[in-house]
Amino acid sequence: MGGPAPPPEQTAFLDGIQRYAVEGRFGLVPVVRGYVAAAALRREGDRLRLAEHEAEEMIVVPLERISPGQRQALADTGIPLLDCEAGERAHPVVDVQLAARAVERRREELEVAVATALLRSEPDSWLVVDGGLGGLTHLLGSAPRVLGLIKSHETQFLDGPDLEVAVTLPEGHRSSVFARRVGGRGSVYTWYLRLWSWEDRDLLHGLVRIERPATDAALAEATAVSRWLLAERAPLSAPDGRWDRLLYPIRQVETFLRAQVGGWW
Amino acid sequence: MIRGGNGETIGRVVATEALPAGPHQFHFWTATDTTLGIGAIVRVDADSGRRVYAVVVDGRAYSDLATPLHEVVAAEGDPSGVPAPTRRTEVRLWTAAVLRHEPEEPVQPVPLAEVRLASQADVEMALRMDGYVRCEQPTGIPVGVYRAGGLTAPVSLDADFLLGPESAHLNISGVSGLATKTSAVEFMLASIFQRLPSHKGSVAAVCFNVKGPDLCFLDQPGELTEADRELYAALEIEPRPFDGVQYFAPFKPDGVNLNTLRSHAELVGSVQPLVWGLREVLNYHEVLLNRDDIDAKADAFLDFLADRVVEKEFRDDWGGTHRVRSFADLERLFRSIFDGLEQAGRSDVWRTHHIATIRKVRNRLINISTRCRGLVTDDGSVNDLPFGAFEDRAVYVLDVSGMDQLGQDLVFTRVVSMLREHLERGDLGVEHVVVFVDELNKYAPADGPDTYVRKMLLDISERGRYLGLVLFAAQQFRSQVHRRIVGNAGTMVFGRMDMDELATPGYQVLSPATKIKLATLPKGELMVRHPHFTQPVFVRFPRPAVMSGPAGVRRYPPAADVPFEEAVVRQLAALDRRVSPARIKDSMAGRREEDVRRALLATKRARPDDVVGFFTANLGRTVAREQVRREGSSATIPLRQVEDPYAT
Repeated sequence: MGGPAPPPEQTAFLDGIQRYAVEGRFGLVPVVRGYVAAAALRREGDRLRLAEHEAEEMIVVPLERISPGQRQALADTGIPLLDCEAGERAHPVVDVQLAARAVERRREELEVAVATALLRSEPDSWLVVDGGLGGLTHLLGSAPRVLGLIKSHETQFLDGPDLEVAVTLPEGHRSSVFARRVGGRGSVYTWYLRLWSWEDRDLLHGLVRIERPATDAALAEATAVSRWLLAERAPLSAPDGRWDRLLYPIRQVETFLRAQVGGWW
Repeated sequence: MIRGGNGETIGRVVATEALPAGPHQFHFWTATDTTLGIGAIVRVDADSGRRVYAVVVDGRAYSDLATPLHEVVAAEGDPSGVPAPTRRTEVRLWTAAVLRHEPEEPVQPVPLAEVRLASQADVEMALRMDGYVRCEQPTGIPVGVYRAGGLTAPVSLDADFLLGPESAHLNISGVSGLATKTSAVEFMLASIFQRLPSHKGSVAAVCFNVKGPDLCFLDQPGELTEADRELYAALEIEPRPFDGVQYFAPFKPDGVNLNTLRSHAELVGSVQPLVWGLREVLNYHEVLLNRDDIDAKADAFLDFLADRVVEKEFRDDWGGTHRVRSFADLERLFRSIFDGLEQAGRSDVWRTHHIATIRKVRNRLINISTRCRGLVTDDGSVNDLPFGAFEDRAVYVLDVSGMDQLGQDLVFTRVVSMLREHLERGDLGVEHVVVFVDELNKYAPADGPDTYVRKMLLDISERGRYLGLVLFAAQQFRSQVHRRIVGNAGTMVFGRMDMDELATPGYQVLSPATKIKLATLPKGELMVRHPHFTQPVFVRFPRPAVMSGPAGVRRYPPAADVPFEEAVVRQLAALDRRVSPARIKDSMAGRREEDVRRALLATKRARPDDVVGFFTANLGRTVAREQVRREGSSATIPLRQVEDPYAT
């Protein structure tokens, strides 16, 4: 595959965060306060500059479970209300999880909005997204240079010898490209890349999976993309515990977003 | 690049538990690209209308790198590997020391607000210059310009705190060889002379040139760059040499060639000889005796001489009458005493003074006329500074660079004492005198014997401000100067400093960054401490508009010593170019050198229109050789005719 290679000149990095907390309850119905934000940092030379940023605060509550008066009281806070799914019966824990899922969805929507805005203004730029491209399916056709970087490997897409090859890749090696379905009707190309040697460490140490829209270019550029991602190992994102898989620019997006959270910390 | 000076935000105050913002110090961050630097003045505006002015005293930059090991890991141990595509996030964190709160009360921690670079008006407010520059009777004396972020703002000292009476004195420290100390003082004097307001009265300067040609060309124009002229314009000072400079230098031991580097034929005419006699020396005998031994007996005998003998009709115990006016007269008196005691037998005491004490004093005093030959004359002739007729805005330069330490001490002590006496009586001719002394550590060392010179300097530094006697002193190492003298200087100026010196306790109040800046300060920049400035401020001053010593020596090379006659001719010719050398030499023919010296001194002092006539007249009448007549002479009286029985 070759060693690290200089990354493309026009590159941006996208990430999003979400926060939620139960602020109170109407009976058993939880009132969840949520905060979501997404940002893209553009690399100019060797410096990162803010390119796009969206943030929202909301009150998440299953609207069908509260009275009009309660709804009005929540509206009077001035914070937008976000409806969420309600379980078949009230449950103090499940209802909070459902609210959290709503917050997560809103975060994905914000990430899409930020990615859309960035690619509209800079259509030739590469965009490295923290996580898979599942949430960006409607962008896949028009944004071939979007790239998802997945750090966690709970979901396995390979079996048997293929899986063994993928998770035992030596440092600086990648797997073959394979396709996976996303969003029911689309698909992405994906491959594994070992950023750091796993010997004497955990099997998944330094292992990332990359996703790109399923195009011929994605196949042709897999090695080149892998090589510049190897170059992104420096600077190290330590002391973050995920430093072996977390690219420094992505971490900087996170740091920026966390700094904006303010009172939520 | 972030610039400033027009009020835009350049940073924000930050405060953490570990780095809180206090009433006297706070921290703020800026972008990495900024014109801000150590010494820059900033302003913090709170929403409440409160305003804080501060000067940047320290700065730090760091990234989010937790440990250098992370860099090693990222580069896989190879520093020459592929460079990281992304630069780590950095912070520029500055520390600022508060100059002023507005309003002054209540004193509170600095608000966590936006930070702006100071404008010119802000600089005036920050340094409290509004109180003495923008008022009915301004007393501002420009010291230089403050420069930061594209802003050039004049900085002035308060004359009430520079020349008295509130505080006074200026002390300047800096390494040798950069010409900063002398240049700064020359510029300050020009600034005082041009900008001291009339309601503050008259001022003159007495400068002791203690080494080389530093102060020998103050009346000659120096070379200035366009940048210098811009600085002069900004400070509203006209770049010109001093108008009224009077030079004084002792003679060399030959008694006729002046002991100065300003001896070029074109300039030597403006140098007056500094010549003292016995009285001038005897009044300051403490200077002469305290070096090796302080002896109460010798002191008493000297007092006896000063009170009872010098310039008085004095009868010794052996029938002799003495009027001691010169060292030669004194030597005759001593000889008479020693001879008298010897003839009187075994007595070792004269007028309660032991002969050993008398001999010791005699040796010391006669030694003065030997060691300070050229300054001190045997014959009683005197040429001194015009005490009582000092002129406003005049500079009196005493070139003592060619004298030994004893002579320099004597000149310094006597001149300063005379200035003090006249200022106390209010009859010096001016109301303020700035005395400039270089190498202060030599005259007032922090340790060593308590000399008369040091005591006198202490006295000036502690009481001079009431009299208008102001000490401008310079030295390489402030730590080596007596603490009370340095401590009494209202204004402190620092040029480039030695790091070893900066490590001494006197500089503990300065931040490490300020010390580094001081150690690398370029020529023409100073750090100033002044009673109105809560924190030291860095300023830039223009090159003085006078010729520097080295340039002066190149332009006017010192003349070589010439024989006695030729030296007299040249000095008289310098007074009047029309004089005929032959005529002067004729008039000197057959004259004693002492007489010629006296006449030359009188001529230089009087500067008459008819130089040769005046000189000749002062030589006195000659006694012509006359032959005794043989015949008809009444030179001998014939003996009366008597009968002589033994005659043949």
